[in-house]
Amino acid sequence: MDENDRDPSEPLSTGEPLTPEKVFHEHAGRVYHLARRMLGSDADAEDVTQDVLLQVVRKLDTFRGESTLSTWLHRITVNAALAHRRKKAHREEHEVRDPFDHFLDDGFHGAPVHQWSVRPEDQVLDEETQQLIEQAIAQLPPHYRDVIVLADVEQLPNAEIAKVLGDSVQAVKSRLHRARLLLREALAPHFEEASL
Amino acid sequence: MSSDSGMTCRDLVEFLIDYLSDELPIDRRRRIEQHLKDCPPCEAYLKTYRLTIKLTRQLPRSAPPPPQLMERLRAAAQGLAPRQPPAGGCC
Repeated sequence: MDENDRDPSEPLSTGEPLTPEKVFHEHAGRVYHLARRMLGSDADAEDVTQDVLLQVVRKLDTFRGESTLSTWLHRITVNAALAHRRKKAHREEHEVRDPFDHFLDDGFHGAPVHQWSVRPEDQVLDEETQQLIEQAIAQLPPHYRDVIVLADVEQLPNAEIAKVLGDSVQAVKSRLHRARLLLREALAPHFEEASL
Repeated sequence: MSSDSGMTCRDLVEFLIDYLSDELPIDRRRRIEQHLKDCPPCEAYLKTYRLTIKLTRQLPRSAPPPPQLMERLRAAAQGLAPRQPPAGGCC
């Protein structure tokens, strides 16, 4: 993370002065949870949160409010999480399965496909469902986890994700599709109805 | 199943992301729709793929951080002094 991560087209904001406590109170939760989802580790997420928020505290004299701080923080958190992973050279030992493995050679489904009983009409997920999804995301290989977190949790456009990850839009889309297929497969045993 | 659509279940799943974002040529879209009519497992697959996206999009983007993290941040911030502007202006 460095000074160049700031988008020079964004004004530095106006409004009430920021204090370290206000920065922590307002932003630690968002920074921490974004980093945790990308890294799949509480301890790594705490390190990244500290790194990111102390950068802000060191530069408090350059911020006069928070109208753009949130956008800036989002970007530097993603960059810091990716850098943290590279620095640790974490070769996470996830088995990278092909989500198309369960199709038969003739293209049929290799196992029954059941409807799910979950009904996400409520805007707020219950805690158990939320935990199931968080755990399933944490179990994804990191390059799939990144795109699910950025595209579906954070709801960034594919073009922006491609820019952040240094990939093509087509590559992001293809990876996102495979990540969703793996996530669907991980969630299915928890949500399936008894039979179709 | 390949049915009248001339498309296998695997083919259909390959194209789901483009189908949902409405980025397919009309002919392929029609074949997918025909296949979905004929194939209950693929219809269930499409519904559960959509649910996967919908559920993930409902995760909260923020939540309270762990209390020990807040303590750690406060302790670390105590060791930092915000940069002061140079006395008498700069340059």
